[in-house]
Amino acid sequence: MSSILFIALPLLFGFATPILNKFGKNAVVYTSTFMQTFLLYLAFTLLSSTTATIEIISIAPPLGISFVQNEISLFFVALFTLLMTLFSLYYIGHRKTNAYKNETKFFILLNMLLASSIGLVLSSDIFNIYVFFEIAGISSYILSAYTKSSSALEAGLKYLITGAIASVFLVFAITLIYLHIGSLNLAVISQGFETLPFNIKLLISILLLVGFGFKVEIFPLNFWVVDVYQGSTSLINALFSGIVVKAYLFVFFHIVYLFLPSGEFSIFLVYLGALSMLVAEIAGLRQTNLKRLFAYSSLGQVALIFTAFAMQNADAVQAALFIAFAHSIAKFIIFLSITSIQKEHSSFEIETLKELNSPFIRAIMLIAMLSLLGIPLFAGFIGKLLILKSLAVSSLIGVVVIIIVASLIEAVYYFKLAGFMFTKSEKKEKLKIDFSQKLVFSILAFLLIVIGVAPFLISGFLRESATVMLDNSAYILTLIGGN
Amino acid sequence: MFEYLNQAESIKNIVTIGSMVLLFIGLFGLLTQKHFIKIFISIAIMETAIFLFFIGNIFNKNFTAPIINDGFKNVAIMNDPIPHAMILTAIVIGMAVLALGVSFAIEYYKLTGNTEIDKMNEMRH
Repeated sequence: MSSILFIALPLLFGFATPILNKFGKNAVVYTSTFMQTFLLYLAFTLLSSTTATIEIISIAPPLGISFVQNEISLFFVALFTLLMTLFSLYYIGHRKTNAYKNETKFFILLNMLLASSIGLVLSSDIFNIYVFFEIAGISSYILSAYTKSSSALEAGLKYLITGAIASVFLVFAITLIYLHIGSLNLAVISQGFETLPFNIKLLISILLLVGFGFKVEIFPLNFWVVDVYQGSTSLINALFSGIVVKAYLFVFFHIVYLFLPSGEFSIFLVYLGALSMLVAEIAGLRQTNLKRLFAYSSLGQVALIFTAFAMQNADAVQAALFIAFAHSIAKFIIFLSITSIQKEHSSFEIETLKELNSPFIRAIMLIAMLSLLGIPLFAGFIGKLLILKSLAVSSLIGVVVIIIVASLIEAVYYFKLAGFMFTKSEKKEKLKIDFSQKLVFSILAFLLIVIGVAPFLISGFLRESATVMLDNSAYILTLIGGN
Repeated sequence: MFEYLNQAESIKNIVTIGSMVLLFIGLFGLLTQKHFIKIFISIAIMETAIFLFFIGNIFNKNFTAPIINDGFKNVAIMNDPIPHAMILTAIVIGMAVLALGVSFAIEYYKLTGNTEIDKMNEMRH
């Protein structure tokens, strides 16, 4: 069993679509779903027998391309394949009523997105990371503009321009790294980065921060995010918020930990994350559009994960993984329910929730919102508790205060939404939800509750992943051996 | 008179200064221009500046092309092939992104008649 399948199979699927199309209209959809289920199974078999291994492609590192699979990368691979499988299952129900026009292309893009997100997580070579960074970008731009309405195209254009600027900065950072260290391999760069002069180190760090800053949606480089979320369909927003951002966040901090193991800039990143969270939540307070509101909430939560990762110690990284897990699942529920609501209600104003006649969707959305808020017995709680605890241990009381204030502001608009959902007013006719969609929602909500009630089910594994992520010497040993 | 221009060090300096000037021309265009196509051209100029900077700094004019053939197998005096492969990939990716961007801009223009980035207001603020 090898990790290359996670990237090769989804990409191969793209080439296989002309043949699959000959077998009828549904062949592409079902094959894609089946393949994703297989990848999910593969991810879980690899998870159960985790030893850090390296997948070499024709030439051994540091010269060749290689993928590293260890606890932390497999955690993200399993999360992404799980979410993508559930997304496909949801889409099977969704397409009965309003399918996309050109489904074949849609599924090629979905699988490109999956392959590149997994590639970002597994790559151990900075140029490979750049290539997957661009593939994930390109498929996101097209998915965002997919419906070709004027607002979708505007979202696509904004996304594309910011993404192109980000990639210029990333290439600049990579060229400087190669000029000074002479290698693209993360392990070799990690060994050489310490000895660089401070000016060069600072320049490379700033370029990397700007390049990734656009993608990890950090203030002040996140001006485009909300428009993109509003312009794209909410079905696609689930992928952006659940999968793509998480891949960029992981790879950014993977690079930060490898290049700056002593944490020179970590305090700056902690404050940057906390500030982003506060700004996002304050801006979210006065939104009346559902998609825009949840885009701001997504920015806030991503900034919280950013803060936790920036702390650069095992407790905080464990907390970051908890929040990332809970946030991906909760945002999937939220954006997929908005897609379901959209069938009956064409508007995205928050008042439409008053007319929502579906106890199932209401319950599911409430669970997701409570988890995002960090109420006990839901998965979001344990992550927030851990991050606040580790901030307090590092005596960063200012950041604790900022996060608590931001969470309170978030609570205000979630309770406003919940209020709208449970107001008695004229209801529209009952919303019909397909069986496969009900299954998807139930699995996601079940995960949130089970992890919330019994966090010990995954906390040991996440703890181990966090230590693996911070352990540079083990990573270098896996990658280039002990020289 | 222009002997010094032919020395490896001065070539590198000229390339570095020139490409940084080009980078800032691109950045200036990006920040001042409003038309979609002009923005894409600015991004293309910035990308080109970085490619030029990299290749100009890594290239050694006394070394040979990195091709192993029957007569010539001395790897020690060959140029490093990795930057060339890398920049070639980056050029292809950059061009693909810009082509996609132009196609979005054309579709958007057909629907709205708008070509300027600060007049994009489909979304409420």
